[in-house]
Amino acid sequence: MSADPRLNDRVAVVTGAGQGVGEGIARRLAAAGAVVVIAARRAVTGEPVAESIRASGGRAVCIETDVADTSSIADCVGETTKRFGRLDVMVHNAFNGGIPHRLEDAVIDKHWNSMSRTAAWASLACARLGEPHLAESTRRGVGGRLILVTSPSGVEGSANIPLYSPAKAAQRAIAKSLAREWGPLGITVNCIAPVAGSPALMTAFDRNPALKSAIEARTPLGRVGDITDDIGSVALFLASDDSSYVTGQTIVCDGGSFLGL
Amino acid sequence: MIVVDVDPTPTPVGELDDAAIDRLWEQPMRSVISALQEAHRDGRDRIVVVVPTIGQSGGASYAAQAALAEAARVLVKSAARQWSDRSVNAVVLDPSEWGVDPAVSGPVSIAPRARSGVVDPLPLIEWLSGDGAADVTGQTVVCDGGQWM
Repeated sequence: MSADPRLNDRVAVVTGAGQGVGEGIARRLAAAGAVVVIAARRAVTGEPVAESIRASGGRAVCIETDVADTSSIADCVGETTKRFGRLDVMVHNAFNGGIPHRLEDAVIDKHWNSMSRTAAWASLACARLGEPHLAESTRRGVGGRLILVTSPSGVEGSANIPLYSPAKAAQRAIAKSLAREWGPLGITVNCIAPVAGSPALMTAFDRNPALKSAIEARTPLGRVGDITDDIGSVALFLASDDSSYVTGQTIVCDGGSFLGL
Repeated sequence: MIVVDVDPTPTPVGELDDAAIDRLWEQPMRSVISALQEAHRDGRDRIVVVVPTIGQSGGASYAAQAALAEAARVLVKSAARQWSDRSVNAVVLDPSEWGVDPAVSGPVSIAPRARSGVVDPLPLIEWLSGDGAADVTGQTVVCDGGQWM
């Protein structure tokens, strides 16, 4: 049994868990006793995370999953329930896209498709495919959980990547809608909007050291979030019984940088 | 003025296969993006995007349509941030304007409205389209008589 038993024996799928925020969430859920499926697009990134969790005494497997392909999500959910017999927590974090652009010049295929597919389409697919199992989880006495990882940009818009914001805003509306739709089933649906030290952000800091200083300066807590301790812990709260009466919400986890929700 | 094309057909998430998502989310969202780009190309200096409140409130059996409404509303903010030479705002109306049952957005929407009578958003849209709103951009104004707050 884990030292933190909040998710003992529950089964969680975390998409995009081969790195960054998804990895942090997966590690935190595993540390609380969950069996975690590292749903990564490439096993070369997902398998080392699963192996590292197992080496720490946790339970994790990697299932290659491309969230831009609905059938791949279906395969992941099917394989998860076949191997572990249940699915209690579905975390959709994977995202692809974010090329800076001018809105007036944006090209759908280049600047929109992958963001729409991996944010909105995949959120709805995770919901549809996960619903029967999350509902069964509730019938078993454990509240089913769907957690979508969005962004503060989904609330405030973006001057740099304007089409990123609507893709992320869509996830917040999906969470609110499903909170209403699934309330009678006892399934909760919430979003996390993080700012954290993902590989993408770290690369951006390396390229532009002033960016790190600028973000820290505008953040009341004066630092960038840690993917496991800061973001993973919020995911654990939302995945556990501690959040039984929380649904349809977005928790902005950014050190207080954005206060306009 | 861009009125977002929200399909009023309730569609539970269990029915949202790829074809339904394409119809309820993808194609109308692409139309919103194209309409904004066209308005920019045409040199419009006042752009108003009209959406239903279900984007902000959520709606049972309307996840795809709510995603569309909220995405369009937040895209207005992105546009306003980039297009500093013009005003871009969102006007949000009761979902019944699209034929959506207001009750889908939950108990808030079946509470008595703050104001009675027929809601007429045209004066608001005219104001947002005029010189008086030159410094108003990236904003959301809900015009539904106080149904959703």
